[in-house]
Amino acid sequence: MIKAGQLEKGMALLIKGAPYVVVEREFVNPGKGSAFVRAKLKSPSTGQVLRETMKTQDSVEDITVEDHDCQYLYNDGESYHFMKTDNFDQFEIPLASFEDYQYLMKDGETYRITFWENKPLDIIIPFKVIYEVAEAEDAIKGDTVTGATKVVTTETGLKVRVPIFIKQGERILVNTETREYLERVNK
Amino acid sequence: MITFNRETALQRSRLYTRTREHFTRKGYLEVETPILADGLIPEPTIEVFETAFSHPFKGTTARWLVPSPEVHMKQLLAAGSGSIFQISKCFRNSEQIGRYHNPEFSMLEWYTVEADYKDSIAHAEEYISAVAPRGTPEHLLPPFRVKTMHELWHTAVGLDLDELQTLEKLRKAASSLGAASSVVSSAAAEHAPETWESLFNRIFLTHIEPDIPQDKPLIITDYPARIECLAANKKGTPCKERWELYAGGIELANCYTEETDADRIEEVFRRESAAAALRSIRSGSAIPDLPQEFPEHFRSREHPFPPCSGTALGLDRLLLLFGGYTDLEGVILFPLSATM
Repeated sequence: MIKAGQLEKGMALLIKGAPYVVVEREFVNPGKGSAFVRAKLKSPSTGQVLRETMKTQDSVEDITVEDHDCQYLYNDGESYHFMKTDNFDQFEIPLASFEDYQYLMKDGETYRITFWENKPLDIIIPFKVIYEVAEAEDAIKGDTVTGATKVVTTETGLKVRVPIFIKQGERILVNTETREYLERVNK
Repeated sequence: MITFNRETALQRSRLYTRTREHFTRKGYLEVETPILADGLIPEPTIEVFETAFSHPFKGTTARWLVPSPEVHMKQLLAAGSGSIFQISKCFRNSEQIGRYHNPEFSMLEWYTVEADYKDSIAHAEEYISAVAPRGTPEHLLPPFRVKTMHELWHTAVGLDLDELQTLEKLRKAASSLGAASSVVSSAAAEHAPETWESLFNRIFLTHIEPDIPQDKPLIITDYPARIECLAANKKGTPCKERWELYAGGIELANCYTEETDADRIEEVFRRESAAAALRSIRSGSAIPDLPQEFPEHFRSREHPFPPCSGTALGLDRLLLLFGGYTDLEGVILFPLSATM
């Protein structure tokens, strides 16, 4: 048992016997009210999302999880296929559980995956990731307005709004939470 | 090492200059009241910073860092100050440090005499227009939308808030919404039974607040009278004459038609002190002393307390919104999180 105020992103809770991962949590102090934590919890098996508001002093049931390094192999349109790097066990995670991750993960790359009772619960994507720009239109000539942007597509298929000077083949650093461009990466 | 961003410091400096110009031009008097108080208005949901004053010969007495300048500003109003405003540091202890919370923060508080909470909506609109930097996005600018809490509940969850004034009825409504919080263990519920107010907030924060439209600032008026505070009751309703301003999805300001009836103020003091004492037994939190003479300010026949409306607005949050920051760390030069 822990207090709801101790919740962090990535922690796992047991709700009516089923594991849920904390995907978002923020603290709210409504005017003249006591402190609350508002969390978005996701079931890794169904992808179902719960919105819960707890008092920070409420007790919740956390579960002990372990992390393993796993290589992302490919997705077949229904599941992500992974391999544990320590024992080469292969396993699948339904696409529906982490639908948007297909644009964030790179084939062949190793990710940390959280397991509970040998079942994968969560895929941890680093906060900042370097992507290569696979598709980018050339900037329109004469468009010199400061702050002008365009949308490019990375090698993973992620669409990112970038400054117009970014060209195809260049590498960019992206905040994977907000999907926002951070900076150009020079070799 | 901190990274000094000159632009951040300039934005705050300009905001304060414009704030002072605006209120001075409108005839308000700028005042400065203590940050170190010898007593506070009881608010059981706020934890305070406790300290002590050591007299070289007379021993030590408890002092408190103010969670808002209300206790002193109301004494000035009682003494005939007329409309006043203040930019003040405020302190709240034991809050989680998050994107929108820092234990030490800056508050603008203004009181307008001969005005009520409805007048204050127009005053808040004028203020935001006067201080918004050029290029401020439309969704932060007046005109504000105004909705009652009752309307919001009706639209968002189809419930008639006026009908849910007992804990029993509200509990039933909550379970129909699935807001009884399946996550929370029953052991915890026994330890601190759910109050009407906390259940109200649970439903509001789960089902209503996240979907507040953000294309224009929104004023939510007529808060339930069951949420104790020093706002006047709205006659013939279970509501207080109180509003909160949301902009960009953030709670930015809080306003009352101020309660001026000494008996009712004493009653609020009694109930809130009892709630604070109960909480202190549970959690060991400090209980600030009451400003004993405070209700007396509302009893004077010679200087009757003026009818007035007071508004408190978070200046750090306003800077965050104006500057397009996502975190208070962007606008506070020395955020507490940097020292943890």
